[in-house]
Amino acid sequence: MAVTTYSGAEQYNFEVVKKFAVMSLVWAVVGMFVGVYIASELAWPFLNFDSPYFSFGRFRPVHTTSVIFGFGGSALFATSYYVVQRTCQTRLISDGMASFTFWGWMAAIALADFSYVLGYTQSREYAEMEWPIDILIEIVWVTYLILFVGTIMRRKQPHIYVANWFYLAFILATALLHTFNNLAMPINLFSMKSYSLFSGVQDAMTQWWYGHNAVGFFLTAAFLGMMYYFVPKQAGRPIYSYRLSIVHFWALGFMYMWVGAHHLHWTALPDWTSSLAAAFSILLLMPSWGGMINGIMTLSGAWDKLRTDPIMRFMIVALSFYGMSTFEGPMMSLKEVNALSHYTDWTVGHVHSGALGWVAMISFGSLYHMMPKLWDTKMYSRKLIEWHFWLATIGIVLYIVAMWISGITQGLMWRAFDQFGNLQYSFVESVAAMHPFYAMRAIGGMFFLTGAVLMAFNMLMTIRQGKRESAALEARLAAKLAHA
Amino acid sequence: MSEQKLQSQTVQTTGHAWDGDLQEYNNPLPVWWVYTFYVTVAFALVYWTIYPSWPFGKGWIGGVSNITYVNSEGETKTHSWNTRALLMEDLNKAAAAQKPYFDKIAGMSYAEIAKDPDMNGFILSSGKALFADNCAPCHQAGGQGKIGFFPNLTDDDWLYGGTFDKINETITGGRHGYMPAFGEVLTGEQIDDLANYVASLSGIGHDAAKAAAGNTLFHGETAACYYCHGADAKGRQVIGSANLTDNIWLWANVPGTDSAAGKVAAIRGVITGGLNKGVMPTWAGRLSPEQIKVLTVYVHELGGGQ
Repeated sequence: MAVTTYSGAEQYNFEVVKKFAVMSLVWAVVGMFVGVYIASELAWPFLNFDSPYFSFGRFRPVHTTSVIFGFGGSALFATSYYVVQRTCQTRLISDGMASFTFWGWMAAIALADFSYVLGYTQSREYAEMEWPIDILIEIVWVTYLILFVGTIMRRKQPHIYVANWFYLAFILATALLHTFNNLAMPINLFSMKSYSLFSGVQDAMTQWWYGHNAVGFFLTAAFLGMMYYFVPKQAGRPIYSYRLSIVHFWALGFMYMWVGAHHLHWTALPDWTSSLAAAFSILLLMPSWGGMINGIMTLSGAWDKLRTDPIMRFMIVALSFYGMSTFEGPMMSLKEVNALSHYTDWTVGHVHSGALGWVAMISFGSLYHMMPKLWDTKMYSRKLIEWHFWLATIGIVLYIVAMWISGITQGLMWRAFDQFGNLQYSFVESVAAMHPFYAMRAIGGMFFLTGAVLMAFNMLMTIRQGKRESAALEARLAAKLAHA
Repeated sequence: MSEQKLQSQTVQTTGHAWDGDLQEYNNPLPVWWVYTFYVTVAFALVYWTIYPSWPFGKGWIGGVSNITYVNSEGETKTHSWNTRALLMEDLNKAAAAQKPYFDKIAGMSYAEIAKDPDMNGFILSSGKALFADNCAPCHQAGGQGKIGFFPNLTDDDWLYGGTFDKINETITGGRHGYMPAFGEVLTGEQIDDLANYVASLSGIGHDAAKAAAGNTLFHGETAACYYCHGADAKGRQVIGSANLTDNIWLWANVPGTDSAAGKVAAIRGVITGGLNKGVMPTWAGRLSPEQIKVLTVYVHELGGGQ
């Protein structure tokens, strides 16, 4: 058994990892703040201030882009660069390319957010960026792919660690999805406006092929990559089953590509397409759970860590929410369940149980694990990590419960017929019934945001502490050298 | 748990290590996981058998589940499961629930309807839906109308009459309100006098001297307002001319301003420009006579029926 040596920071490019880690939390705070704001707009509409610049329609993509691509994306860049270097025992093949992916990605997100507020959008969910920004993303992404594959090819380890398969699947699939969903013709070279190459139902199908695989490969596979490195590292135990990781990796990759059409039940999409997707969604249940089992079972024999280690708690709660939302998703994709859930807040709740519960929690855990190692110090405050954990967990529960109740209420109200064969409620009556749950959701979001702010503060103080310590160390070293 | 521990101790790792201490056990796939996967495969096969699923040739495999519905032509159709057929089936059910009431209301007088609580429940329910689909786009969700565009249906001011028969006539045949533009035949001063007079009729702040001059114009042959609005200025429902004495405004946005001068100016605008936009479409042909009857009662009950 070849046990490799622990390697110092000089061997690896940690500079780019640090930058992405910091920006990940900056985007988390920005994106979650906007999320709380738009949630509050739904509860208290005066917050629109009758201005298009404050409207839900423009802020919503700012929220989704900032949290998915800003926070989630940066966390993935940071951890994938960290993991690929450490598990391949080699430095990224190019510092210049790494730095380019950082600045390019930051520019893309900042430009996207800014353009939404000004009213530019492709109106494609999670792909609202107009064509010039899409081209920038394409270039950054291809650079990322070359950098990642190049680094794996230069590895000093005979085997490629499982986390890297997941990261690579994510990078490849995202390149594919981004390219085909954004095929569009600009109205002219100097205009931000473009029109999709697809029309009608093909356009909708392409969009949700993208949309669901963004969930599958960006928000699932990639974060499973994170899980496969940071959970065993934090637990100090080997991954539960190598065999399971192979089987569920390929099953996940194969199944996800079929299921996008379940977002388009009860629409103009042909019925055969959507029931095909529904059944594949059910088939996806166990492959998804493979990752959860592998993560949770890795902890078996080290359960006591849950009592003592708040970082481990983030990871286990993340895996639990992952298991729950990958169960809920297939259920919602069945036509008859979807007849109730479609277009309701239940969908919003489901997305957030995945996004807050799984994606954000596993990212928080991984970033907490990484930070002391990046800045070569201890975390500034363990107490704040505890606080963050509880604020985030309570926030998620408030959020999801509110959306379950309001979603199911909406679904029931919209299709209730009275004894005279007429719809029992008008739409506006269902809107009025949502108010308390919208307020509850906004409060849940505030909890979650507060946790993220605590984490950002904790990180800032940790970085300062790390710098102070290394300065002190260098001063001592210099003094010693002067005496010698 | 202890069993699990035991297993982990006996199971070998794959023999690789990364980044110092990162290793993998080679535990077999959990049996329950494998079998649950087989169950989902069986579920998928059943699902694909019931619903339309795989594309085949130029069409697709329809599945064994069927839906029977009556289409808009009245023909009964059976089709393999699909969203549109399901919608038709739902609409058929709703129509079947409504039918006995529509059949009954056809032969009832308004007086009889008023005494029938069950029928009133039906009208409240169906009327709300019909109103929302057909009337609310102009008259607004609550029937409150919109100043400058569409009359308020909840007050007791009626251009063409608020009895059951008149409301029915309005919905069935539609209406077209018209008032000539006096800007072409009167001087600005005369129009100002008239506007002050009309304001005075509703007790709005005005210039008394001008109003007196307006009074003369109103009842004289120069402006001849009394032709349509009547000598008492209370309007004539036969031709749909407005009552000018009740401080209820449709075309001139008098409530929109607090200043007396602004209110007079709003009236002046209507006199100058006249009106040719008071068009309500005819609903005969689009709605059945029974549906119009339901709407008649519903509108009558909105507040101001006579």
